[in-house]
Amino acid sequence: MLDVYLPIIFAIFLIAFTLYIIRIIKGPSVVDMALAVDCLAFDLAVFIGLLTLYFRTPFLIIGAIALALWAYILDIYIAKYFVRKEVGE
Amino acid sequence: MFEIVEWIVFIIGLILVTIGAICDLAGALGLLRFPNFFVRLHAATVGTIGGAVIPLFGVALIAAVSSQIGPFRWAVAGGAIITAILIMIIAPAGSHALAYAAHKAKIVPVEPKVCDLLEEYEKKKMEAKKK
Repeated sequence: MLDVYLPIIFAIFLIAFTLYIIRIIKGPSVVDMALAVDCLAFDLAVFIGLLTLYFRTPFLIIGAIALALWAYILDIYIAKYFVRKEVGE
Repeated sequence: MFEIVEWIVFIIGLILVTIGAICDLAGALGLLRFPNFFVRLHAATVGTIGGAVIPLFGVALIAAVSSQIGPFRWAVAGGAIITAILIMIIAPAGSHALAYAAHKAKIVPVEPKVCDLLEEYEKKKMEAKKK
């Protein structure tokens, strides 16, 4: 059942990825791009979880945690730069 | 008896994944079509909480009852739950930090504005510093 149902979900997720990438390329300001990259990274974490179910290998889920934390670090660095005009340590 | 419970958990997981996919598509459309950064934050919240946290809980439920993954299925379920809780904590924090930075550095105009208490507060603070 998963073999039939999950490709439909993959198709919906790929359409959403395309819309996010259009916003990243078009984005009028830097914060718009950062927000779109944020959403894209979180959805990629979900995509990794679904791929784990589809390929039946348990080792793919490890990458999802690091991906979520990476998007958060990107947000915090961009916000810090715009507030103080420096990145800090 | 136990098989019926497994089927129910499996169907609940599939429903959660479907809800997540639909929310994700709605969030992506909103992020593309909304006019302003501060309006787009709403669509981003739909795309992260509805489109990332809920399907990860669904993935955890599906992985907990699917026997094809083997003895590692509890590792998959635990990793999915940890990722879901992390995203539930860090996505609002990141969005709030971005909104505060965009308001403070004045890179985007605050367009549909009724009243802006943060701007008034900062203006008052600057005048107090001048005196």
